[in-house]
Amino acid sequence: MSSSDSSSSSSVDDPNPNPKPLDNQFESLNLEQESESTIIQNDDGEGQQDQESSLNGSLNVNRNNHEQDDRIDGGHVTSVLWRRTNSEVEVDGPSSPSSSGYAGERGSSGASEDDEIHEVANHGVIDGVFDSQAAWLPGKRHVDEDDASISWRKRKKHFFILSHSGKPIYSRYGDEHKLAGFSATLQAIISFVENGYMDELGDRIKLVRAGKHQVVFLVKGPIYLVCISCTEEPYESLRGQLELIYGQMILILTKAVNRCFEKNPKFDMTPLLGGTDVVFSSLIHSFSWNPATFLHAYTCLPLAYGTRQAAGAILQDVADSGVLFAILMCKHKVVSLVGAQKASLHPDDMLLLSNFIMSSESFRTSESFSPICLPRYNPVAFLYAYVHYLDVDTYLMLLTTSSDAFYHLKDCRIRIETVLLKSNVLSEVQRSMLDGGMHVEDLPGDLLPRSGSASHLGQHQQPTDSPGRFREPFVGIGGPAGLWHFIYRSIYLDQYVSSEFSAPINSPRQQKRLYRAYQKLYASMHDKGNGPHKTQFRRDENYVLLCWVTPDFELYTAFDPLADKGLAIKTCNRVCQWVKDVENEIFLLGASPFSW
Amino acid sequence: MARTGNKNIQAKLVLLGDMGTGKTSMVLRFTKGQFFDFQESTIGAAFFTQVLSLNEATIKFDIWDTAGQERYHSLAPMYYRGAAAAVVVYDITSMDSFERAKKWVIELQRQGNPNLIMFLVGNKVDLEEKRKVGNEEAEQYAKENGLVFLETSAKTAQNVNELFYEIAKRLTKKVPSRPTGMKLHRRPQETGRRRQLPRFPQLFVRMLVYQIELHCGPSDLKIKAALNEK
Repeated sequence: MSSSDSSSSSSVDDPNPNPKPLDNQFESLNLEQESESTIIQNDDGEGQQDQESSLNGSLNVNRNNHEQDDRIDGGHVTSVLWRRTNSEVEVDGPSSPSSSGYAGERGSSGASEDDEIHEVANHGVIDGVFDSQAAWLPGKRHVDEDDASISWRKRKKHFFILSHSGKPIYSRYGDEHKLAGFSATLQAIISFVENGYMDELGDRIKLVRAGKHQVVFLVKGPIYLVCISCTEEPYESLRGQLELIYGQMILILTKAVNRCFEKNPKFDMTPLLGGTDVVFSSLIHSFSWNPATFLHAYTCLPLAYGTRQAAGAILQDVADSGVLFAILMCKHKVVSLVGAQKASLHPDDMLLLSNFIMSSESFRTSESFSPICLPRYNPVAFLYAYVHYLDVDTYLMLLTTSSDAFYHLKDCRIRIETVLLKSNVLSEVQRSMLDGGMHVEDLPGDLLPRSGSASHLGQHQQPTDSPGRFREPFVGIGGPAGLWHFIYRSIYLDQYVSSEFSAPINSPRQQKRLYRAYQKLYASMHDKGNGPHKTQFRRDENYVLLCWVTPDFELYTAFDPLADKGLAIKTCNRVCQWVKDVENEIFLLGASPFSW
Repeated sequence: MARTGNKNIQAKLVLLGDMGTGKTSMVLRFTKGQFFDFQESTIGAAFFTQVLSLNEATIKFDIWDTAGQERYHSLAPMYYRGAAAAVVVYDITSMDSFERAKKWVIELQRQGNPNLIMFLVGNKVDLEEKRKVGNEEAEQYAKENGLVFLETSAKTAQNVNELFYEIAKRLTKKVPSRPTGMKLHRRPQETGRRRQLPRFPQLFVRMLVYQIELHCGPSDLKIKAALNEK
């Protein structure tokens, strides 16, 4: 991969070289502030003005009004486009900048807040439970609902998997079997566009916009995936989420499942996915709390350099003995990982694999040996995963291509576990879980690069557990200059680091809202149409968001909405410097499979 | 193969059956004395070990608790290959699971290990009032197919230990007469070690380096560079 400049004796080198000295960075950023940056102040435009509704008539879209909202008419196209005064259909068009692009839209969260008030007023309690990560329980809910239930229709974000013959495979809410009619409707819409309506072959429906609802389609051979959402997330994000859901399905079944449809187009796939509801619901839940789902990068548990190297050494030793990937993780964070030569692991595969393992209680019961498929590595073949929890949060995954390697892998695990215990890696991992990661309050005040700090993430100057310490004249909560949160993504390493949440972004709901704002920022920065951008400064009533993309890294920051722009830019530079100062602790350097 | 000299027997045991019949619950009851009302679906297969001491011998069970889901069916041979005993489980409240059990029996008979000890187990007898599969019916089927038949309840622990003792007893009886009958897996420790041996010094050096680093910070990089070159 691209980090070839970090050679194999990588521990010496700096694998994330920043070509520009700090002062230059600072200047270039300042420069961009004047000339290039997209500066968007709060704009009240609703952004629903475009009327590209070529399919409107032929699909018989009713222009529903609110009186018709609660009308029960499942099975008709109108049920797809329910509850909107101004239904529009866009086919195959990239979402217009004004409606789903970043520019010109209202503050993401402000708008969705409006939504919540008049849309879910009567079941706010249920939604409250949903939004709370702490209260989130695994498994599928509302199985009693179907498309005739008002509660089902009011859910803000639906995900469906169906077969090309219209058979339901998975639905986030409700019983799949009861949704057969609805599924058939979705299938009809997709095939209507594919066959006949358009002249050119290969036309695919991508998006139907119906007022605030977006219906996003993804066709993967005989498998159709659909998201219906009124969360105002950009089309690219929703499509990315559908891609991940498809990947999760491939991880469980491999693409070989397509053969079943070749033999029998009416093949019913639900039994094949039996018992995996928790895997999908946990993945969907992670869309609102795990930035890895849109950053396509993984994150590491902060650990002293030597500790991580010790873990990497024993994993490397095992990988040399015929293990394809050896991955040690703590919850969704990587402790260390090693791949056999030339085998590289995609961050999305890691996300899907760890989601699969964490959501399945079965793996905690005992050591397991299961077939899994890594969709980005090889979507048509199973690998075999030996999985063992070393403690309540820390688990070891050893992947191999050989179906009878269990006893060898079990042996490897015993050796790894012994070494990890002897070298105190496991206790360091637990300590790091307690200590947490980077806190914006700890952002060093000076711009002088500091030598590798001996203490945990340079926290020795300040105790971590006293929120509300201010070292800046700026009045606000959080870090200096009103810094509330940041995510730094290293492009070479495929890794990101996210600061811990602190006041005022305390509740899971606020965190989800911030992630949604980041997601939008990410989509707009990577928009092929009017991007890519280098910097973006955006102020609305909830935050100041400042994003900075260079060939080496991407920085996403959230500030107090009243934050000063100049100070915010300075603070971003300090964040980057801070990340560089502690990169030995927060990133897995060198030994990763990406560097082969 | 079977090391019966000191009457230590290591035996691979596999549980098969439809999803939700209680295979995992049965194993957890036997190995840990636990029972959970809502046991989550097993993924792939879970591995347990348990030692049983009889008068005649000590038996170390390697238990493969397989997932009942259809998607894992094609992978089942991976788990039952070389097993000394197979336990086919059904749920007495589900006729479907009994039919599924019969299919497992046929598959095991086809794969042609005449010495495989097969058990047919009707689980969930605590749900007597919901029974759909008659005791006599299952017993008759077991007799016709040369299976040992038992009804159990993982919830109340009824017959669970008895099941494993019965398996153990039959294994000890079988060992002296037909040692090849139970294909015990190779001693993984030994073969594994032998293959790993050349790598051990290297690992040892690495560990030494990292121990040094743990205490002194990232120093001594020359050693490591040398190691990487090697």
